[in-house]
Amino acid sequence: MAKEMLLPKDPRYLKYPLEGPFDQEKARWIAFNCSRCSVCKWVNSWQVKSARYARICPQHTRYMFDSHSGQGKCDLALSIIDGKMKWGDDPEIKDILFRCTMCGGCDAMDKNIRDAELVKLYRWMRTEYIKDQGILPEQKPLVDSLKQYDNVWVQPRSKRNAWAKELKDLGIKDLNKEKAEVLLFVGCTYGLSQELKGTIINIAKILKANKVDFGILGDSELCCGSPPDKIGLPEEFERLATANIKRFNELGVKTVVTPCAGCYGTIRVEYDELPVKKNFEVLHVAEYIEKLIKDKKIKFKKEVPVTVTWHDPCHMGRMSRPYVPGKDILGAYEEPRNILKAIPGVELVEMERIKEYAWCCGGGGGAFTAFKDFAQWTARERLTEAKDTGASMIVTSCPWCESNLRAGGIGMEEKMEIKNLFDLMMEAL
Amino acid sequence: MTEKAKNDERHQQILNAFQAAIGVENVKDNPATVNAYFGDFLPPKMLGMTMPPEFVVLPNGTMETQAVIKICNRYKIPFIPVGSNQWSLTGSPNRPHTVIIDCKRMGAIHEIDEKNMYAVIEPLCTLAQVQAEAYKRGLYIGSPEASATASAIGGHVFQGMWGVGYRLGVAYRNILGLEWVLPNGEILRTGSFSQDADNGFWGEGPGPDLRGMLRGYAGAMGGVGMVTKMAVKLHPYPGPKVWPVEGVIPNQTSVLPEDRFKWHMVKYESLEDAVNFMYEVGKAEIAGVVQKWPTVYYIMWWSKSCEEYWTEWQKRTFQDNAKNAVGVCLWGFTSGKQLEYETRVLEDIIKETGGKPVKKEVYDMWVPHNANDWIRDTHGSRMMRASGTFLALRLQTDTLKYSIGQVKTGYKWVDKFSPPILDSDGPDWIGGYDFGHFGFGETDFPVEKNTEAIGDLMGKLMGMVKEDVTNGLENGVGPFLGGAYHQMAAPVFKYDKLLKGIKRAIDPNRVSNPPHQIDPDA
Ligand SMILES: Cc1cc2nc3c(=O)[nH]c(=O)nc-3n(C[C@H](O)[C@H](O)[C@H](O)COP(=O)(O)OP(=O)(O)OC[C@H]3O[C@@H](n4cnc5c(N)ncnc54)[C@H](O)[C@@H]3O)c2cc1C
Repeated sequence: MAKEMLLPKDPRYLKYPLEGPFDQEKARWIAFNCSRCSVCKWVNSWQVKSARYARICPQHTRYMFDSHSGQGKCDLALSIIDGKMKWGDDPEIKDILFRCTMCGGCDAMDKNIRDAELVKLYRWMRTEYIKDQGILPEQKPLVDSLKQYDNVWVQPRSKRNAWAKELKDLGIKDLNKEKAEVLLFVGCTYGLSQELKGTIINIAKILKANKVDFGILGDSELCCGSPPDKIGLPEEFERLATANIKRFNELGVKTVVTPCAGCYGTIRVEYDELPVKKNFEVLHVAEYIEKLIKDKKIKFKKEVPVTVTWHDPCHMGRMSRPYVPGKDILGAYEEPRNILKAIPGVELVEMERIKEYAWCCGGGGGAFTAFKDFAQWTARERLTEAKDTGASMIVTSCPWCESNLRAGGIGMEEKMEIKNLFDLMMEAL
Repeated sequence: MTEKAKNDERHQQILNAFQAAIGVENVKDNPATVNAYFGDFLPPKMLGMTMPPEFVVLPNGTMETQAVIKICNRYKIPFIPVGSNQWSLTGSPNRPHTVIIDCKRMGAIHEIDEKNMYAVIEPLCTLAQVQAEAYKRGLYIGSPEASATASAIGGHVFQGMWGVGYRLGVAYRNILGLEWVLPNGEILRTGSFSQDADNGFWGEGPGPDLRGMLRGYAGAMGGVGMVTKMAVKLHPYPGPKVWPVEGVIPNQTSVLPEDRFKWHMVKYESLEDAVNFMYEVGKAEIAGVVQKWPTVYYIMWWSKSCEEYWTEWQKRTFQDNAKNAVGVCLWGFTSGKQLEYETRVLEDIIKETGGKPVKKEVYDMWVPHNANDWIRDTHGSRMMRASGTFLALRLQTDTLKYSIGQVKTGYKWVDKFSPPILDSDGPDWIGGYDFGHFGFGETDFPVEKNTEAIGDLMGKLMGMVKEDVTNGLENGVGPFLGGAYHQMAAPVFKYDKLLKGIKRAIDPNRVSNPPHQIDPDA
């Protein structure tokens, strides 16, 4: 006679328990099941190609003590939840929590060996910390700006559309007034940065030239909610995200495309955690344009002879899909690469750490604003890795990555050109 | 002065001393830091047997490590050297005022001597890092089941059992030159490092081989000071310069070139027949890996989620098809022709021993996803996915034949203690080492991670170990590997006087991870 099965009594070992709203019990589950195996600190060994580029966690690599790793954060969460420590017990708790770039490197490596979502745990910890200790002074201007202007850059709403005004002749649709199939969601940074506005102009030109029926929201576009989501302000995130979902649904657009990796990951994944449901698909501009190239709608006219390497933005890659235990940690990995390969003259060479095990640029999770020294140190690590490929240019498609890589590159002896994918593409059209 | 004030003053003095020796930023005593250094993996943290250290220090190099250890001696406070600290059972403080010597600033690979086939490494270097550099040069090194994120030095001075141990022997036999700070703060250089700090090719002596203080089953567990530099053997490797990977985490597969590597999964009627086959393979001096995995391993490593684990368990694919199966990986070290020759030899052995290949679909599941991992990593922490943790008993190094009896008595305990031991299908892991000169057996099983189940089981397993020791048997050391292993085993094997003598001589203040490797005063 078959013996009775001896299964764990706790049903959470039988069926993934982290779906639905995240709470303290779920946080404890993740923290409690950390076995101190250290996979959160290193690139999965199958993919370690050299001793030099074997690390996955910028924070742990830079600050070295284990408290600054995924494992250390699990230990901290467990102690706090079990009442052995308090958020205010140690000023370093702030650094442990907020220097993390929320890049999800540890999270992806961890998923190779257990069912968990470390980044959700960190977000919960940040929220609880802020409830207890208040917003970080370094992040206060960003938060005030969101509340006042619905963008992170302390800029009046009217400025958000300045780039589009330069393109009056192009006839970009204003979706506040007319309908289109595609909403080009510009994002705060491409919309407001003088330095980066060339990219959004190029994207609009490419879409227009290829007869894509798209429009923008102009100065009524709101922040996607990514920054408050990452720095632990769920209410602010909910406010922005809910308003966005409702608005996009009302517009009746089929697709929301965005050039910003942060917006992309957030709208694609984090919005699904809210009660209001999305009636549209979400694509990164790279995914949209790659399809146009595949369908032979885009024809390149010029050669751009350059050797480039592609930097995977975390929120376009491993952090851009909902987690299903046992399923691949996917992301928009191939589309930008396919675009690069399609540009005549461009040779693509890969860095050692790519795709789900890419090294973060350092600009995420609020580090870009609050901990510039560390963010730029992380960027320099990436630029060095890029340099080691023999490429002369690092290409990416995230305004945070671009800006932070640029800031990190200042003063570096060996220069590496940093370019947005669509700016490079434009050179070949 | 109150006791507290005295303690505070002393704490401050020690802090100042460490900071002066290795720099303010490399010493921490704050709660958020020390909280990350006292577990977890197996029971001690859950059962309240460990506590946070008083300090965590990050020395850089031998001289700074020496300075730290001298301060520990001056103040008579215990220290624990740690690598990646996966084996938190011996790497977590078990008494107040402990200092963790974390090796995060010692991550250099000083040299890879391609011609003489060795690498000179510092304690943070992981096996994965050393492997990656070795592969580029046509060389390789192994990795324990724990995983290649383990420190390579940690892996060599601790248990040292790895998949490729069939070919390379136990890791601690691959140690060459050593540079090491003894518990009393003296620096000891052995092998060729004793003559020339830049030359690590030779391990023995000079004079009696002092590596013995550090090596041996389960090593010294941090009880004899800290190794700061080690030359480790590398071995000729016929594989590609970069480990081949297809797919995305967690569904990656890895296929090594077929003209140089070929896995055979051979099934037998009984464990005895399977072990007999392992002997025959060893006698023919063929293959690179020979493992008899228990079915619970197949499921632990195959499953990419908890749900898949328990579903797979109920499907019984591996229980019905891989019970008593042996995995043999043939390596064409010199050429494809060698692989062809070894294949013919293996086929003869299979015929003579009555083996049958496991079903193709099972082979196709296991080999690309998991089998090669026994060369590269193994990802041992997957053993904890299904129920939060696992425990082990009857870990022993003996002849292959004796391993059979060991794992079989292990089953009995597993049956007796189920629950809290969960379904495990007679977990009988037997690895062949040194071409079958000896075997390593272990009985691993999942246990639900909760204080009640773990507490209950630990009590029972300790009882079992004591019973065995009383009967003159040294085994079942699994639960003891965190405790005073040598304290228990040394009197049985009558090496206690020797160890105590060593400890007294080199650790007069009993500061190096007490009670390891043995408590000379007990
Ligand atoms: C799931 C799992 C499976 C495992 N399977 C295996 C296996 O199959 N084979 C095997 O051999 N081991 C196994 N282990 C045990 C152990 O984790 C490994 O041996 C690993 O290599 C230890 O490396 P580490 O860097 O984590 O060592 P640590 O945990 O850091 O240290 C282990 C011990 O060595 C001492 N030590 C570390 N570094 C130094 C140093 N530089 N100088 C002096 N002493 C030092 C420490 O004080 C400690 O007592 C397993 C562990 C786990 C968790």
